Amino acid sequence: MTSSNNENADHRGSQWSSRSVGMLWQHRFFYLLIRLGGRRAAYFALYFVALYYMLLRPDQRKKSEYYLRRRFSGSSRLSLWTKSYLMSLELGKVLVDRAAVGILGADAVTIDVQGKDRLHELVREGKGLILITAHVGCWQVAMTTLKFLNLPAHLLMQREEGDVDRHFFEHAGENSSFRIIDPRGYLGGSLEMMAVLKKGEILSVMGDRMLGSEKSSVTVQFLGGKIRVPYSAYMIASATKAPIAVLLSRRTGLSGYQLELAGVIRVPGDLGRKNSAYLPYAQEFIKILEEYTERSPFQFFNFYDMWNSGSND
Amino acid sequence: MSNKEKLKKMLVEELNIEDLDPNSIVDDAPLFGDGLGLDSLDAVELVVLIQKNFGIEIKDIEEARAAFESVNSLVAFIEKRLQG
Repeated sequence: MTSSNNENADHRGSQWSSRSVGMLWQHRFFYLLIRLGGRRAAYFALYFVALYYMLLRPDQRKKSEYYLRRRFSGSSRLSLWTKSYLMSLELGKVLVDRAAVGILGADAVTIDVQGKDRLHELVREGKGLILITAHVGCWQVAMTTLKFLNLPAHLLMQREEGDVDRHFFEHAGENSSFRIIDPRGYLGGSLEMMAVLKKGEILSVMGDRMLGSEKSSVTVQFLGGKIRVPYSAYMIASATKAPIAVLLSRRTGLSGYQLELAGVIRVPGDLGRKNSAYLPYAQEFIKILEEYTERSPFQFFNFYDMWNSGSND
Repeated sequence: MSNKEKLKKMLVEELNIEDLDPNSIVDDAPLFGDGLGLDSLDAVELVVLIQKNFGIEIKDIEEARAAFESVNSLVAFIEKRLQG
């Protein structure tokens, strides 16, 4: 039932790991740059740090190529290298922006929310709201804009040992504006998630990455191959009749992000326990994600071989 | 059929616990993890099934935690709620 929200993960080999890339001092160096020189100073350093990883850490570069080879099939080695650099830069900028919001305040970035009226409509249905997102853009910062819904928001999030990069709400030393549901808690947080929706509140989960047992996953088509994704969100939607809003963020420029309501997924009630019942809805989400990679190919941050994680049957 | 028998039959049939005779479920064995081996998604379905088959809504996590320990605790919870 678990999914992780750490886009700055270290992907050992072809398998995913949530352990952060980089040493603690490296992260602190960037935090200091942000404090002293703002985001621009940190961005400037990023170009060199990303180049370091490209030139001297082929193991890290390889991790982006699992996705890039599929997204840009037929690319030359040089082209792939360039795209890998661009992707690393984008990830670095997102991490800088995330830290900047925590250090400098919410005004450090501007966020354009598309689909506000529709989100209000979904909330007014009174069944709670499931927000499903993916490791794209900077979802954490984008989520801060959801205050306009005037509802408590709960994130299913797992923090691993070795995670040295801070989430934005940890920088300011303040309690999170979100409540975190730990998937390692009682029954994977499943009952807690249902309780949130029963109260008409917001539940946010990731739909593109598996943690834990393959029993909690379904196999879907993505970029010409098969991947396993969690289906718990769809099962909880069926159990509670809560609508699912697909929210995807993308960096649109130096100071801006867009948070887009990319789709609404309705899961009928009474679908039962079999995972195959939830496959169409998981596939619907992944299709939306694939369309995202068409528009924003370098803001998709799954640095591991999604197509070779466990048994994709 | 008693509530206990109905519950055991429901667990086996609706949670796809294959090749298990309902009568062989140990009444005080844990439902989750060791014991019957249900998982977190089974818990989601169990909440739905209890509502559907017994008309009982589980209101909060603490209530569920106590009820979901074993068949015995779940039957006790159901019968207490049915009595009003």
